[in-house]
Amino acid sequence: MEKKAKLPPKGAILIDQLPNNAIENELRDDTVVVKNPPSLRIVPPINFCPVEKHLYRSGQPSAINHSFLEQLHLKSVIWLATEEPQDTFLRFMEENDINLFCNLGYDSIDSNSWDGLSESSIKQALEIISDKRHYPLLVCCGMGRHRTGTVIGCLRKLQGWNLASVSEEYRRFTGVRGGRILVELLIEAFDVSTIETRKEVAPEWLLR
Amino acid sequence: MLSQGDQILDQLRQYDVRKNLQRTQSELVGEFADDELAGNMGRAKIDDLQQMTRRHAYTALKIKDDRPRYVPPINFATVESDLYRSGHPQPSNFEFLDTLNLKTIVYIGDKTDNYDYYKWIAGHAGDRTISFRFFKVKPPSTFGTSHMFNDEVALNTVLNLVANRENYPILIHSNKGKHRVGVLVGLIRKFLQGWSLSGTFDEYAKFAREKGEGDLEFIETFKPIIKIDPERKPEFVRCD
Repeated sequence: MEKKAKLPPKGAILIDQLPNNAIENELRDDTVVVKNPPSLRIVPPINFCPVEKHLYRSGQPSAINHSFLEQLHLKSVIWLATEEPQDTFLRFMEENDINLFCNLGYDSIDSNSWDGLSESSIKQALEIISDKRHYPLLVCCGMGRHRTGTVIGCLRKLQGWNLASVSEEYRRFTGVRGGRILVELLIEAFDVSTIETRKEVAPEWLLR
Repeated sequence: MLSQGDQILDQLRQYDVRKNLQRTQSELVGEFADDELAGNMGRAKIDDLQQMTRRHAYTALKIKDDRPRYVPPINFATVESDLYRSGHPQPSNFEFLDTLNLKTIVYIGDKTDNYDYYKWIAGHAGDRTISFRFFKVKPPSTFGTSHMFNDEVALNTVLNLVANRENYPILIHSNKGKHRVGVLVGLIRKFLQGWSLSGTFDEYAKFAREKGEGDLEFIETFKPIIKIDPERKPEFVRCD
């Protein structure tokens, strides 16, 4: 027996009836036709990913990533690890006049690199992130997994995201050993009402 | 061996005990600062308190029950400023998608019966009109075999749309946001931004989380023809 195709409900709009004004580039005299990748390749740092407009996350960049970072025209970096960044990265930041935020509110309890971030460090990081005067901004730690993941997770909560999507994003960056429940617990328990967003300096996407 | 859940609770308990202890110690020092007997009394008090904290060592978390304001589509992420990727949007995602002020949505996939979704797109009029482009593309595991021609035309057209900043903000989605969109973002990273293949593959794997049959080989061997208007190219595009 022939299978009958399911009919659309009455009055439904079909997929080919939607507006279609997107502009395709025409071939003109000054058109650049790209058939090959640029001859000089750039290498993203480990666990690099754009988070929002001009806000990025990653693990610690090494010398091979500097040409990549140059493209981002960074103004500030938030460094979340307890150890100092490598000398090459420090030099890169100095050469490019990049503002470094480090040692965010560590107290004696939270100073072990295997402990999670303290609430005050998360708050400080979020206060920097909610000020567009620091943009373009890179948030990073040693591997760009747990500490960076905690701060970005709390930012997503501040943006009003549901926890399932926040945790999906966090786990995307944790590698084969998976996420730490303690980090997700920190994000879940984080009280976003303690963060004050100042309308006049907040990035536009944070006010939606 | 403690189970993972027990380990976490244990860590939290220890954390609480240490914090309590630290706080009471500093309070005691303040309280008895002028007292000659401060040392002795302080020690006695701390012992008491240690017993007390041992009794109160069970941790429960105070978590505010905030209703989330937004639910992003599955596998949603920012690719570059005003360029987004995701799986197929569902009605629960519409409110979130409205915050992106999208101008263009590109769907590379094979489903044509999500009528709620088409109604939502068509509901944007005037300045907020969303242009919708649909490319019927089979999952990329069949790239390079029978669907070669169809897919190449579709991918070149999408790359062409991405190369024009008048179309931004753009959302590109497939069904799960893993393979088809993964290949497309891979091509953007390679040809429009000049990322190394290692970085491109790493990003692909973060979203796909499983072996894509032939997807990486496709990104490596595909030869696109992308027309770029130098005056309208987005900020992130690098070309020789």
